[in-house]
Amino acid sequence: MNLVEFEGKELFKKYGIPVPKGIVVKSSVEKVSFPSPAVVKSQVPVGDRGRKGGILIAKNTKEISSAVTKIWQTSIGGYVPESLLIEELVSSIAERYVSISYDSGMRQPVLAINKQGGSGTARASLTYIDPLEGLQSYLLRQALFASGLKPSRALADIIKSLWNLFQSEHAILAEMNPLFELADGSFVAGDAKVILDDNAVRPEYRPYVQMSGDIAVLASGGGASMINLDALMRAGGRPANYVEYSGNPKSEVVRTLTKKVLSQRGLKGCWVVGGTANFTDIYETLLGFTEGLLSVKPKPKYPIVIRRDGPRQKEAFVMLKQFSEQHDFDIHLFGPEIPMSESAKVMVKLAYKRKKK
Amino acid sequence: MAILVDHKTNVLVQGITGTEGSRAVKEMLLYGTTVVAGVTPGKGGQKVEKVPVYNSIKEALKKHPEINTTLVAVPPMFVKDAILEAVASRIPLINVLTEKVPVADIAYCFAAAQRMGVRIVGPSSVGIISPGKAKVGAIGAAELVDRVFKAGVVGVISKSGGMTAEISRILTEAGLGQSTAVGIGGEVLLGSDFVDLARLFEADRQTKVIVIFGEVGGPYEELLAEAMTAGEITKPVVALIAGGFSTKLPSGTVLGHAGAIVSAGKGSAESKIRALTKAGARIAKSPEDIPKLVKKMLG
Repeated sequence: MNLVEFEGKELFKKYGIPVPKGIVVKSSVEKVSFPSPAVVKSQVPVGDRGRKGGILIAKNTKEISSAVTKIWQTSIGGYVPESLLIEELVSSIAERYVSISYDSGMRQPVLAINKQGGSGTARASLTYIDPLEGLQSYLLRQALFASGLKPSRALADIIKSLWNLFQSEHAILAEMNPLFELADGSFVAGDAKVILDDNAVRPEYRPYVQMSGDIAVLASGGGASMINLDALMRAGGRPANYVEYSGNPKSEVVRTLTKKVLSQRGLKGCWVVGGTANFTDIYETLLGFTEGLLSVKPKPKYPIVIRRDGPRQKEAFVMLKQFSEQHDFDIHLFGPEIPMSESAKVMVKLAYKRKKK
Repeated sequence: MAILVDHKTNVLVQGITGTEGSRAVKEMLLYGTTVVAGVTPGKGGQKVEKVPVYNSIKEALKKHPEINTTLVAVPPMFVKDAILEAVASRIPLINVLTEKVPVADIAYCFAAAQRMGVRIVGPSSVGIISPGKAKVGAIGAAELVDRVFKAGVVGVISKSGGMTAEISRILTEAGLGQSTAVGIGGEVLLGSDFVDLARLFEADRQTKVIVIFGEVGGPYEELLAEAMTAGEITKPVVALIAGGFSTKLPSGTVLGHAGAIVSAGKGSAESKIRALTKAGARIAKSPEDIPKLVKKMLG
């Protein structure tokens, strides 16, 4: 789960990491009053906000209000901000980079320090942390020497706090970039980027990604769903969304999901696809689909292509055939006799043929 | 030959009385795998499918010193403890079926396992099957296992459980059997990655070609490419990499698995394909492409 900056900074504060004084604005009608000069920051989970118009410096009250108006209207990387952060300007003597994340190759946490802020991990000095030992003081001292920074008490304390946060909050990334060094030797985290481990903090989460196309997709299987979207795009299709529902979902889960996916505007087709299921009850799943389908307004007239295989698939197809005749839906059924990627081609052909008529 | 599991595999199941555990036991026994014991703390003395249940691994090992593999099928919050118990007992192969295991727990267990010289496959591993010999985990339900998996020369390593079966089925239907098929899970941290298992396939006389199913996110496919370039893996590799569709999505978006994180540059499907191609792997565009590439490699 990607936290936005102010959420990350709330965690920083909880662990004793200093952050600039600031306020969070959560609505564009909210009246803003904050002493100038200030920096106004869009709260979207996207990197490089500065260069994308998401961070503006304001010298006086008037500039603050115009920056606020402007940032509310700026969408970055597909995200429209839901909140803004207004902070005091920090005058620093240097900007550093510090992060803790997991190195998948080493399967260990890694502390990255760069004398120069803003440059990310690419040129940072890396120190691996043995999870059985944690970040011991000697290791932290080594890391600071290796980075070329003086291992001051203030800096060591902040990095220790970041490690505590990383462990206790189930983070997979905790980053301070930049970390401001002030003239008096103290430090302030200018930005906070924190990603929490979905497995630990929201195990029920299922990804749902809005895309800009016109074919609604209901895909099963973590890997198969991705391979199938690749196949759809290769066949010339434009997916409207990415979603994956695997395991053995109850019919009401599928019903709700179907309604959500098919309530998108401007659809030209719907593709229900999955490989050979081991344990998923295909009948139950597709029953949920039909229930969801009936609840969609206006009634979908576009072609629906279903490719499924697994337990009770034949029974499910008998039910679907009856259903589609009774309710007059344009449903096309395929079992294991055609590959998943073939059904992508069928979907594309049916969906876009209609457009030209 | 084959890797990891064979006729000599003697399985312990941790969490044997749970839904996942008891289903896996039934399936493994139906396939002819030797399941010698199970552990569920507090349920010692019971039986699941005639397999005796013990309160601890220590108790189980006293009666069944032949145990050499454990299947971990306990709920996510107990996985760390279960793996550490297996590591402390020096069980050489720990296959973790459970999904949604916190990343920190995987890192901790991996470090402990390395220190003790034992191997973890998973978490979120659908299992390991050496067709005709044995299987561990939830891979291949009884009614379709013989249609999907046949003994042969292809080693399969997959981040996706479903695609482990799908690829094996496509290979089998094309007359290409498998030496061993392994689901390694699609997590951020993997107990065993492509390189770890490709090394075993490299040393396995039965395996002539390695097929991998990889995904956008993380470094594991690129690391395999490095091992190939370094000459560590010399057997031919055929790769199917999922997630090319995600190039226009924001970086950091998580897709079908926890480790399938949309990345620009390194970690993207495109970068993995480029690295593997450069290292000499053949890239399958779709699952159906795999058999003809494998046959080409076999000559």
